[in-house]
Amino acid sequence: MQQFEWIQIPYSLLTLFIVLNFGLLLNALMAKIAARVGRRRGIPIYQNYIDLIKNYGLRTSITHGIMFYLGPVFRLAGGVGLLLFVPTLYGSEMFSNLSFAGDLILALYFVFFGALGMALGAGESGHPHAAIGVSRGLSQMTMAELPFALAVFSVALQYDTLTISEIVKAQQGSLFHWTLFTNPLAVAAAMLSFLGSMMRPPFDVVLAPQEIPIGPPTEYHSSYLALMQTNRMIFPIAKIVIIMNLFFGGATNWPIFFAKVFLIYLFAVFVGVVFPRFRVEQSIRWFLIWAVPLGVLAIVLV
Amino acid sequence: MVSPLFIIAAPLGTAFFISLFSKEKQRLAFLITLAAMLLMSLVSLHWVFTYLTSGPVDYYTAGTLPPFSINFRMALPEACLILLINLTGLFSTLFLKNSLLRMGRLSMAVLLIDIMSLSGIVLTRDVFNLFVFLELMAISTGGLVLLSEDNRAPAAGLKYLIVSQLVTILLLIGIIFAYHATGTLNIDGLTVASLTHSTGGKLAFFLILIAVIAEVKPFPANGWALDIYESAHPSFSVIFSVASSSAVLFATAKILSIAGPEWLPIASNVGIITFLAANLFALSQTNDRRLLGYSSLGQSGLVLAIIGQQDILGDHYLYVAGGILLAHAVAKAGLFWMSGIIKGRELTDWTTIQGHPFLIFSFATFIALLIGLPPFPAFYAKWELIHSLAGAGRFPLLAMILLGTLLEVGYLFRWFGIILKRKPDGPGVLQKKRHRKRMVIAATTAVGWGMGYLWGTLSPLGHLFHATPLLFALSFLLLDWLPARIKNSLAIAGLVGYFALQYAGYNPMQLIFASVILIGGAVILLAGFDNTGRRIGFYPATVLMFAGLIQLIEARTSFDFFAAWEILTVGSYYLILRGKQSEPHALSYILFSLGGAFLILTGFSLAAQGGYQIELQMLGTVPQSVAPWVFLFLALGFMTKTAAIGLHIWLPGAHAEAETDVSPMVSGILLKAGLYGLMLLLMTMGKQQLYGVELTHMLLWIGALSALLGNLLAIFQEDAKRLLAYSSIGQMGYALFGLALMNHLGWLMAMMFVINHYIYKSMLFLSIGGVARRTGTKEMYRMGGLLKLMPLSFIAVLIGIIAVSGVPPLSGFGGRWIFYNAIMTSEYRLPIAVLFLAGPIAFLYLFRLIHTIFLGQLKDEHRRIQEAPFWLIVPQMIFVALLMGVALVPGVALRRVDHYIGQFFPNEGGGLNWSGMTISSDFGYWNPVAIMVVVGVMFATLLAWLLFVNRQAQVVKQFNIVYAAERPYRPETTHFAWNFYAPYRKALGFLTQPLVTRFWQTVTDLLHAASDLFRRIYTGNGQVYAIHLLAFVVMVYLYSKGL
Repeated sequence: MQQFEWIQIPYSLLTLFIVLNFGLLLNALMAKIAARVGRRRGIPIYQNYIDLIKNYGLRTSITHGIMFYLGPVFRLAGGVGLLLFVPTLYGSEMFSNLSFAGDLILALYFVFFGALGMALGAGESGHPHAAIGVSRGLSQMTMAELPFALAVFSVALQYDTLTISEIVKAQQGSLFHWTLFTNPLAVAAAMLSFLGSMMRPPFDVVLAPQEIPIGPPTEYHSSYLALMQTNRMIFPIAKIVIIMNLFFGGATNWPIFFAKVFLIYLFAVFVGVVFPRFRVEQSIRWFLIWAVPLGVLAIVLV
Repeated sequence: MVSPLFIIAAPLGTAFFISLFSKEKQRLAFLITLAAMLLMSLVSLHWVFTYLTSGPVDYYTAGTLPPFSINFRMALPEACLILLINLTGLFSTLFLKNSLLRMGRLSMAVLLIDIMSLSGIVLTRDVFNLFVFLELMAISTGGLVLLSEDNRAPAAGLKYLIVSQLVTILLLIGIIFAYHATGTLNIDGLTVASLTHSTGGKLAFFLILIAVIAEVKPFPANGWALDIYESAHPSFSVIFSVASSSAVLFATAKILSIAGPEWLPIASNVGIITFLAANLFALSQTNDRRLLGYSSLGQSGLVLAIIGQQDILGDHYLYVAGGILLAHAVAKAGLFWMSGIIKGRELTDWTTIQGHPFLIFSFATFIALLIGLPPFPAFYAKWELIHSLAGAGRFPLLAMILLGTLLEVGYLFRWFGIILKRKPDGPGVLQKKRHRKRMVIAATTAVGWGMGYLWGTLSPLGHLFHATPLLFALSFLLLDWLPARIKNSLAIAGLVGYFALQYAGYNPMQLIFASVILIGGAVILLAGFDNTGRRIGFYPATVLMFAGLIQLIEARTSFDFFAAWEILTVGSYYLILRGKQSEPHALSYILFSLGGAFLILTGFSLAAQGGYQIELQMLGTVPQSVAPWVFLFLALGFMTKTAAIGLHIWLPGAHAEAETDVSPMVSGILLKAGLYGLMLLLMTMGKQQLYGVELTHMLLWIGALSALLGNLLAIFQEDAKRLLAYSSIGQMGYALFGLALMNHLGWLMAMMFVINHYIYKSMLFLSIGGVARRTGTKEMYRMGGLLKLMPLSFIAVLIGIIAVSGVPPLSGFGGRWIFYNAIMTSEYRLPIAVLFLAGPIAFLYLFRLIHTIFLGQLKDEHRRIQEAPFWLIVPQMIFVALLMGVALVPGVALRRVDHYIGQFFPNEGGGLNWSGMTISSDFGYWNPVAIMVVVGVMFATLLAWLLFVNRQAQVVKQFNIVYAAERPYRPETTHFAWNFYAPYRKALGFLTQPLVTRFWQTVTDLLHAASDLFRRIYTGNGQVYAIHLLAFVVMVYLYSKGL
């Protein structure tokens, strides 16, 4: 555990800058991969930059009220916070970000900060589709997060610490020191749970473009939407960073970081292009039947 | 010194004298009767004082010693009973004035003879003389029944005469045999002659005993008595229930003294069966006097059972028996007299006393006397009785007494609920202009309180009236005429002042609880300034609850603890009952609470090991043979208060239907009483094993399941306050789980929950209460879009839900962080998985709470509503500030507690390191200030940026949303709110089947069905009653042969 120094602020901003750009490219790449599976060409790799700039630039905007206004702020603050409360690169003073503020538990709970704020903002828009989307999203999230929480607890018990850098440290040395090999049950549970949090098929009924046009963000446009899009570039990576640190040995330099994040992300995309969409109650049951027992076994057997 | 013979001679002479009057001088005869009654009462009062210090004195009628004369014995018990009988006679005469004048001077003579015969029964030491007085009693009773205008009364009187003739025959045969066997009829002579040592003597004794017991109206030979209670004049019922019963109970005790202790079980068993049966049958009564009749039979049975326990009660026998007998006497007299001023005979007709606070107060006093709630005599008596029973290992009797009392609680408090909550209608008009009768009731109430004081003075364990908080609470009874705002200020000043005086003496744990109770209570009371008018009854109940709570925290002995527990239960019951729809919920609350209290009583009595109390700190020294049972009973008792799953069904209704400012008190503060008890229990007793099962492991599961099911049930509620109530069940589950972890951080987490839950749940209940008041509904789907109209309430709810959910940066996160650190060292992991599932579910109901009320579409009928009243907002804003404070510097509150808890786990370490800004454990760390700053800076930066790029945003009106193919215009169809989590119900709804509710419903249904079925043995036919009596005699005889 380190103390705060002012230099950490520019360092953190640097992390943010790298991750944002990486996210913009990575998301486009993933969209492209998914498109290719469907025999489509897909978007250009720089498409996300264009979308973002366009949306920030739009000057026609409306608001439904204060919470509607704050929703995207909550959302992006949640994504950025999640990224910065976790050390990005192991052993690097420069990229340990603001992790002095708290340990793994802080990161776990901060995941909900953005979701909650976003849901509130969407709620004030008064659009029923937004509310339906939130209802679905929260319902699915409660069950999808459970195996992840169990897996995290299992890992914490395994390494007898709640500090992320300690957990990464314990996995150094060899490939077989990774949690993936030392605690495969926990990793399995966490990876199934990961599928549920990526808003990709089969767990994307929350956004359901056909029935409830994109769900919670349905009323958001222009710079509000741009803020949320920014988050959509950062948040999956922030989440993957935690998974990478806990289960896949973390990363000691940027190339390893990019590779591992790409592969973990690819897992969700891979499952997504193969399986069709679940209804909410189906996904709840699916997590309860397949992922939760793995998590329970992981904490009992560790 | 007046000779006791006077008490026989005076009424006899007066009766003879007034019968000589001419018919026109009824009024004079009445005055003389009244004067005689008054004189006899004064004389008996004089005796009470005389014999307070001196021992028993015998008076001989014929100047020689027995067996050649009859002797009267006078001692303290006799003096008290005679005072009771004569006072009953005096007040009844006053009450009966019109009936006596109507029936003429002879009825007055009969009344005098009745009182005289009862005094005789108490005084005489001669069996044949006893027979004579019993006969006189029977005849005069038969005559007095006729005073009633009810046309069933003559039949009831006749049935009584049939039965009493049978009893007389038994008694007479017994007396003949006894004289034959011993040559004496003097009670002491019979004892000396060892009557029960010969076979014939045994039979003789049995016949005498059974005859006297039959007069006590035992089950099943008591149908005739019920008919009398139902049809007789209520004031005669008072004599019948109070004076006659007391006299024959005393006679039974005298007769039993002839034989050895081996005959006592007859009294115990007949008594307890009567107690249970009568209370069971009373459940299905709707006629007030018949119900009181059942209750009288039950109470006599209880005293009879206590007479059977004199072998173990020793010196405390008179204190215990007297406490219960006199409490019953005062209460029953008061209730019967009250029934005399109410015209209708249904329980619902009593609603007519609604506008009369004093009558309600009297009624509450009387039922508290009957049940044995503090500070009344039966409370002290039952405490000692249960301890003696536990010490002697008589557990079946102990269980039956408590069960019977619980049944009694059921029908008496149901009645009280009906009186206060039903709409008054029907014929039950209060009789007007009866000041004389009301004076009698007032005097009885005063006697009840006086006796409470007396029993407290006599109690070796502690005097409840000497506790400042209780006295402060009771003083509000006298101040109830003041305006609500003045009383509110007084209450707040009292709470804060008491805290200021006492806080220095508390240990850190007590300090946390005391702050929540006193300072926390004062903050919630601020909302009370919103009420104008007088708010009759609110402040005595509220302050009583707070008094009980703080006395609980301060208690050092089991007696003080239990007294405080009952005081807070009673206070909170009255508070909960004040809600508009609260009647069934308050009843279920008091049943569960007192049921739990009886478990606690059992636990303490086991722990006391034959003593009458135990220092709470000594609970850990209880021998291993009983320790697990003590733990089990106490834990179950405490868990009724924290509403652990299975014992939770009272909570949602009780909290949701309570008044706006009562819900936060009973949820935010009252629930902590159970946690305090559990904490105390675990601190002193530690881990216990029962049949190889680790009890703390069971608690862990109960905590986890409470958290899961409480949260799960909360998400399906449409009623906002019910949602919050279920959420409390979940939160208490977390706290229970933390305690049951039995490690340092688990306990710290529980303490964090104590603070946090108080702040956010009080705040949420106040804001939701304010919204409900403005919108006129608690159904969330009927609201929506209130954010713009009630922004301050919204802020409170927003801060509240962020804190409850545990999302950083607010204080809930601290609780979660400690939780994760605490479970790192737990031996049990499966219940943790359940708790993990419960956590995220909280998001569902919290989001629903804020969304369906404040966000979405505003309803047309709500367009003009305003922000909640100022005085409801004030405490909410204080809570917002408190939450921020606890979030930033949790160390202020927790640091010392952390250190304090450390002493209970000397070998583990495991505490937190509070140095600097960062709080660290063995496993991780957390810096609340840094989190707050980082989140704040990020949030502010992004907001500033959005404001910059989005500076021209246009505010649009409602319904201006992107909608395909239609234009929404009705909020009802556009606001997605009802059944918000339909998919969740499809997936996990099976977990929310109301199994527990069904279980308890079945239990009460079975009790009522049994009550309704078995009470049919009382057919109302005199011959059947005679057969009952014979059957009873045969059954007891067969039982006694088996002795």
